[in-house]
Amino acid sequence: MRAIGSSIPRVDAWKKVTGEALYPGDIEMPGMLHMKVLFAHRPHARIVHIDTSKAEAADGVVAVFTAKDVPVNEYGLLIRDQPVLCGPGSDKEGADIVRFVGDQVALVVAETAEQAQAALDLIDVTYEDLPVVSSVEEALAPDAPRVHAHRENNVLQAYRIRRGDIEEGFAQADVIVEETFRTGFQEHAYLQPEAGVAYVDEEGRVVVITAGQWTHEDREQIAHALGLPEDRVVVRYAAIGGAFGGREDMSVQIILALAAWHLHKRGIDRPVKIVWTREESIIGHHKRHAMVARARWGARRDGTLVAVQVDLTLDAGAYAYTSTKVLGNATLACVGPYEVPNVWVDTRAVYTNNLPSGAFRGFGGPQGHFVAENMMNRLAEALNMDPVELRMRNVLREGSLLPTQAPVPPGCTMPQVLERLALEAGWTWDAERGWQAPPPPEPTPPAPRPGLAALEATSPRRLRGRGLAIAYKNVGFSYGFVDECHATVELHGGAEIERVVVRHAGADVGQGAHTVMAQFAAEALDVPLERITLIVSHTAETDNSGSSSASRMTFMAGNAIKRAAEEALRLWREEEARPAVAHYRYIPRPTTPYDPETGRADPNITYGYVGQVAEVEVDPETGHVYLTRVITVDDVGRAVNPQQVEGQIEGAIAQAFGWTVMEDFQVEGGRVLTDRLSTYLIPTVQDVPEEMRSIIMEFPDPQGPYGARGMGEMPFIPLPPAIIAAVRQATGVWFNEIPLTPERVWRALQEKGTE
Amino acid sequence: MTDLHTIRVTVNGTTYERTVEARMLLSDFIRHELGLTGTHVGCEHGVCGACTVLFDGQPVRSCLMFAVQADGHEIMTVEGLAPEGEMHPLQEAFHEAHALQCGFCTPGFLMTLKPFVETHPNPTEEEIRKAISGNLCRCTGYQHIIEAVKLAIKKIHHTDA
Repeated sequence: MRAIGSSIPRVDAWKKVTGEALYPGDIEMPGMLHMKVLFAHRPHARIVHIDTSKAEAADGVVAVFTAKDVPVNEYGLLIRDQPVLCGPGSDKEGADIVRFVGDQVALVVAETAEQAQAALDLIDVTYEDLPVVSSVEEALAPDAPRVHAHRENNVLQAYRIRRGDIEEGFAQADVIVEETFRTGFQEHAYLQPEAGVAYVDEEGRVVVITAGQWTHEDREQIAHALGLPEDRVVVRYAAIGGAFGGREDMSVQIILALAAWHLHKRGIDRPVKIVWTREESIIGHHKRHAMVARARWGARRDGTLVAVQVDLTLDAGAYAYTSTKVLGNATLACVGPYEVPNVWVDTRAVYTNNLPSGAFRGFGGPQGHFVAENMMNRLAEALNMDPVELRMRNVLREGSLLPTQAPVPPGCTMPQVLERLALEAGWTWDAERGWQAPPPPEPTPPAPRPGLAALEATSPRRLRGRGLAIAYKNVGFSYGFVDECHATVELHGGAEIERVVVRHAGADVGQGAHTVMAQFAAEALDVPLERITLIVSHTAETDNSGSSSASRMTFMAGNAIKRAAEEALRLWREEEARPAVAHYRYIPRPTTPYDPETGRADPNITYGYVGQVAEVEVDPETGHVYLTRVITVDDVGRAVNPQQVEGQIEGAIAQAFGWTVMEDFQVEGGRVLTDRLSTYLIPTVQDVPEEMRSIIMEFPDPQGPYGARGMGEMPFIPLPPAIIAAVRQATGVWFNEIPLTPERVWRALQEKGTE
Repeated sequence: MTDLHTIRVTVNGTTYERTVEARMLLSDFIRHELGLTGTHVGCEHGVCGACTVLFDGQPVRSCLMFAVQADGHEIMTVEGLAPEGEMHPLQEAFHEAHALQCGFCTPGFLMTLKPFVETHPNPTEEEIRKAISGNLCRCTGYQHIIEAVKLAIKKIHHTDA
């Protein structure tokens, strides 16, 4: 049996079904102390004074730390604009300002978690409230208060794309559609809240065991804030309870290291543990960016796109996190997977006093495609043209130029994916009429729904509709960021290879990366999987892998491990090395940043391609939108582990349904109203589609290991606009804003009814 | 002020006598007093289901109970599913059918499902969905969990099939 293409069970599955797997919050060490964080719970304020004396004297309290205790009081993945702890006394200018409710003010370390929690109330903080910037509109107003006082305005980053002549393009258009779209924040809601343990080891290194997405980046940020060389910091990952982008930035990493390091210097060599509550998790880490976008698209009567103009703004929140990169992706994605001669795009990410926004599955792709694919479905209607036919006339093909005027990388299969999707969903094609949609689904009597029996009795019929959308998603780091991934493969044995050790830093956030790593090694070496031992996610044992994000880990780790294994095999055979050890640093083809004036760029290494059809039922009495059926076609290049690929697709669809229909993250004046799972509702099994047809296509990517593309994000992206189109067909109403909460849908149906 | 109580609780077949604070949650008792960290805490207020254990054979959310309420009762946690290392058919099914990704919610699903699969030889898909509708999973989209439930029922009730 070949390892690649086989659905072998996860390497960690037994430990996870027996409860043996240790997540960061499960780790117990002798003499362990417990830490709690004092969060600001104010969206914008200056800290005038902090008095910790009462807390320090409280029962069980070992230490209290504030801004003055942070050697270099700044951090950030791309821009170091956030204090580790807010307050006076550090040398970082502006660190006395809290800019969102989740800014951290003080740390209490005590014998028990309860004692640490109780002591938080004894810390006396004097705040001077500042005006709150609670929306992008407020942030962009001419006299807006500045979230970061030293900056000229609240614009963190702006991009533009200028291609062709936009006025000439609109002049050629027979039909022009103009709309404004809004999408909301989304909470990752991974089931395992942030947690970790830190201590100083015998070699004097600060060791942090936690759950993240990029061990080496965590190490760099910890070392920077502590003013230590990187080799004095070790980051290891325990079992990781989901991430989806939400663990890409720091949460507990630096504060754990800071506490352990200070205690060590005071002669207290005891590990420190922290476990965040769900509320702390929700205010303590970033969200998917809320977006507002105005779009104006023009097409000829024959469906040719001639002009695409988009103005898109993302709410970055209080700090940069990965907003500049998310914005970069949204800037490209808002034109959709189409070749357009005249493009005019302006985008910006804007600081506010809301929670920071950052990485979340799709990374700007969902917001961008929400604009593009809604516009395509609007245009199809305006042109009285089938939505598949319209797309086929404009879709990116092998050799097409992207809006940034670089050719799409070889292996573009958008047309093949779209064709397969259309056929699977009942579309037909003939030479005379082109693509024709199947008839719309008929309204049906409501099916029984638990808990809604009383409503069903009076409800007439449930309205049904079908909608389609497509997308592409970049694989790997973008826009000139140098991507790299290291792997080391050791072959042990005598006459034959008895044991293989693969060293790789890559994080298994739940997606199954470690299983896939073992599969790559087994395939390249042609040894049984049982002989593979993984040493993973440990900065002292492995080299930099880059993050588990950007749909990149299978692609990057696969390329690195395959080549390291091939080199180790050569050493084993040709030089009879025992053990044979080879290291490989994989660097994919370079990309380039946006030109500031024209947006010219070769933006991404490669892409995955996806299309989806959604079928919905809408209850006109309650406004509930039910997703009943999804057809999803994903070109993954090569399904290294088909079962895991299916799992990624199904999980992404559930999250995308959540973002589109259920998940209503509410913020008012910078304060979060939905800071627990009883108020922020994520999909249960009763909310996900009853029928899911998942078609996995395998057109090899020329750069991919055994042809594999990254695929973890892309199944999220087309579903929201597909649902919008399905709801339009069901109800006759176009929605430009999500989530489609029952109230929003019901109100719109009432308005339509009274027209 | 602390109010202490001595309780006797049988967990996974072993009886423990412990003196606990009146407000100690059952989930904290299981995790911190007994060191059984397979019971996970995801929301602390009864929504996510990750902390589900069996209380006299019935699934309960251990974050919504106090340890003192377990005095004189029998608890089973995920560690009790395969006491001798021989996997319960549910565990085998979750392993085979890829019913977990990050795995944090998995013990809660297993404990919710144990009585269900043992007493439902032929459930409808709707019954399966209802059985797990109180457990949140953010990774899988639930499809493979449903498949695993069907597989477990097959293993338990239809071994000749």
